[in-house]
Amino acid sequence: MTATLEIEKHSTVGKSIHRIDALEKVTGHAIYGDDIRFPDLLYGKVLRSPHAHAQIRSIDTSEAEKVLGVKAIVTGKDAPFRGGEAIRDQPFLAVGKVRFAGEAVAAVAAETEEIAEHAIELIRVEYEQLPTLFDAVEAMKPGAPLIHEELHTYAHMPIVNPVPNTNICAKFEFNQGDVEKGFKQADYILEETFTFPAGHHCQIEPFMAIAQADISGRVTIWVPNDAPHRLRKDLADAMGVPFERLRVISPPYMGGGFGGKGGLKVEMVCIALALRTDYRPVKIVLTREETFTSSLTKHQAVVTVKTGVKKDGTITASRSKLVYNTGAYAEKGPTVTLHGCESGVGPYKIANVRVEGYTIYTNRPVAGALRGYGLPQSSFAHESLIDMIAARMGWDPVEFRLKNALEEGSINPTRGDALTSIGLKECIVKAAKTIEWGKPRPPNRGVGIACEYKATKTPSGSAAFIKVEQDGGATVITSAVEVGQGIKTILAQIASEELGVPVERITVTSPDTDYTPFDASTTASRATFHMGNAVRLAAKDAKEQILTLAAPMLGVGLGELEAANGEVCVKGGNKKMTIAEVIRRKYRAGLTILGRGSYYPEIQGTMFSARSIFYMYGAQAVDLEVDPETGKIRIIKIAAAHDVGKAINPKACEGQIEGGVVQGMGTAIFEEVKFDSNGKMLNPNFRDYRIPTASDAPEIVAIIVEATHDEGPFGAKGIGEMTLVSTPTAIANAIYNATGIRIKELPVTQEKLFTLLKERNTWIGR
Amino acid sequence: MKSIVKFRVNGEQATVHVEPTKTLLDVLREDLFLTGTKRGCDSGECGACTVILNGQAVHSCLILAAELSGQDVLTVEGLSSDPKELHPLQKAFIEKGAVQCGFCTPGLIMTAKALLDSNPNPTEEQVRYGISGNLCRCTGYSKIVEAILTAGEEIQRSNK
Repeated sequence: MTATLEIEKHSTVGKSIHRIDALEKVTGHAIYGDDIRFPDLLYGKVLRSPHAHAQIRSIDTSEAEKVLGVKAIVTGKDAPFRGGEAIRDQPFLAVGKVRFAGEAVAAVAAETEEIAEHAIELIRVEYEQLPTLFDAVEAMKPGAPLIHEELHTYAHMPIVNPVPNTNICAKFEFNQGDVEKGFKQADYILEETFTFPAGHHCQIEPFMAIAQADISGRVTIWVPNDAPHRLRKDLADAMGVPFERLRVISPPYMGGGFGGKGGLKVEMVCIALALRTDYRPVKIVLTREETFTSSLTKHQAVVTVKTGVKKDGTITASRSKLVYNTGAYAEKGPTVTLHGCESGVGPYKIANVRVEGYTIYTNRPVAGALRGYGLPQSSFAHESLIDMIAARMGWDPVEFRLKNALEEGSINPTRGDALTSIGLKECIVKAAKTIEWGKPRPPNRGVGIACEYKATKTPSGSAAFIKVEQDGGATVITSAVEVGQGIKTILAQIASEELGVPVERITVTSPDTDYTPFDASTTASRATFHMGNAVRLAAKDAKEQILTLAAPMLGVGLGELEAANGEVCVKGGNKKMTIAEVIRRKYRAGLTILGRGSYYPEIQGTMFSARSIFYMYGAQAVDLEVDPETGKIRIIKIAAAHDVGKAINPKACEGQIEGGVVQGMGTAIFEEVKFDSNGKMLNPNFRDYRIPTASDAPEIVAIIVEATHDEGPFGAKGIGEMTLVSTPTAIANAIYNATGIRIKELPVTQEKLFTLLKERNTWIGR
Repeated sequence: MKSIVKFRVNGEQATVHVEPTKTLLDVLREDLFLTGTKRGCDSGECGACTVILNGQAVHSCLILAAELSGQDVLTVEGLSSDPKELHPLQKAFIEKGAVQCGFCTPGLIMTAKALLDSNPNPTEEQVRYGISGNLCRCTGYSKIVEAILTAGEEIQRSNK
């Protein structure tokens, strides 16, 4: 690969420079959405449905209207808009009926939060309860009560195919080869069903938005959303207005996203209110409880996998059925399911594959994108089954995976395309070695491994400008969102490297759809690759303009010049001048050099329908100990090896890996949103929904593998989502290794493992 | 019924008119514009609103503002806002890569300061236990723990 030669001369790419946003964040000066103030700000509060499925008989707001300080009250009929990225199925506030407990039914904007809260309590709603559906497998059966009677009338993405008069909001298939033939070739066939729990992102920053309408008919919204341009389109589609009537501004910083802060959430109610406040801005900040019940959850999933293997270890066929419980509205559920189908089968050479995926409406809260985008669910099933087969056949789990692992030129098992830039085997070997795989361990200790590959959203575009000022500093104008992953730093490094301006002299903007150009989204681990390419091209464009100006000044041809350290230099010589001097000498009265770049992969298809422009690979290995008396799991070490293409900032990659691993660990052993029999969430707080603390987090060894990608900026691919996909499965596989107990349902809490250990002991005793 | 409360914040006298239901967090953010202290759960579970009250790390969302008279509050803004004279914890958080989204960072730094003030030479386990009331969803805590241990060593060195 070409990037190895370039490494020598990189000035900032590949270096763990300090994050450019760290100073603001450690001093408390970083501004997040809730820190934004306006003198005439109103505060919004939302009345939410206590029922999971009910007809709204009547809403009486008359008492609330009398409260002094109430500025506006809205219900569904006041905001007759429906939104949704995949399927336009979600009303801004409930209309006619509610479909989950926590759905917005009415909202109030008032002079203070207290007044808004008081007014909300005075709104009377009469409901008539409808039959509820919580189980996706039940809900997809013919004859089940319908959650969306009008499903056949909804607009949807081309890739999504809702089945009218059912609760099947989307259905996907991937077929390669002939699975029946493949199973006939197999010596061993195993089929199992695995269940993955619903969970929550638990961003520490609650969801919020501020919206303001103006007299010209424009609406501006300040919101921590991971895709400002997509949000503008979603809102424009929903409200039936052209894009320019809407403006989306990202607060400078977002307090964690993990895929959850995209699409339409608090935006809908906030805009509904803002249209009725005589142009005063309205702020809504969800409580922690609302963030749990009424923003977004992670899909509960039931995955059945059947795999066939020959005696020599070759996987001959894989057939699976994925059922994802997407809750009351589609949100990104369909494409989450699609991605679960696409690479859940695992990063293996398998000639015969059939995957069916179903996205099912139920009366659960809305489920959507969460880091890994549907892959953790299906990967848990497939990678657990691989482990079971390996054990059945007497193969070492690492050897079995290495035998079947994708390598350069392998065929993608689900799409049939030839794959390149694959660092998988190195990931498997390094992860296993780091935890001393194969070393004898005492009783109740165990090791486990799991691996993965993942697609990014393709095709999707990113554009950027770079503005070089008269004093030689530069600004990257981009709609990439700093969700916490460090994209501002990464883009500054890429711009610096290409433009030849020191990284300290580079500023990176936050998105504002009025000024910053299009970006599909800061999701799907796509920003470094896509926006990185756009920024690199913009920097190249600006640099060429500067060198063109400098050539006659230095009396040499354009080809003899290069830019580095803020200077234009003659290659191999010592003649040089600063970029600032070049610009000043040419434009004495002042001008900006404006570079532009855009990137859109040349792959046919509508969004999500095409093969991925790049695939990420990874493997994680776990060393743990189970207390046979109590079921307590002590995770000793997790080695997580991830192929990122090229680490633009290795420390930032490590941070992604460490954070993802601990999230994955939470999924494995703690986290599950729970409901009572009426569909009310039982644990919408951090007391009852436990996420890992510093005391829970194990030793993590982050291993960066670099199989560079020819089209990536400096060879880079992506990392964010990959980091938690394998963790739950590697933990479950290690529990099997330690105890002989196969985990088919997550989370494996201490209580659950205690029960399973008791059952095992009874069984052994017999 | 509002009451007048006088207390010290970051070394300066503050006077606020507060309703009985308002918390220290409300007053810091809404009246004093010290928005570095974050609201994550409003119920003492996430630690994002941690400040130091009379030397102790507390959840400011659980402290009633009306009871603050004469007390001494330190927030993240009071540690240092001079980029050249950062507190060793702030420096270590930057250098060790302990910051991602940053929403939990002020609370963590304040908890860590109280911890190092009371135990200048903590073990890794003590640090992990000490910050276990501060949730972070981005980092996995490794680099935060490393930063706190490094800052502890730095403070010890400079005190010698």
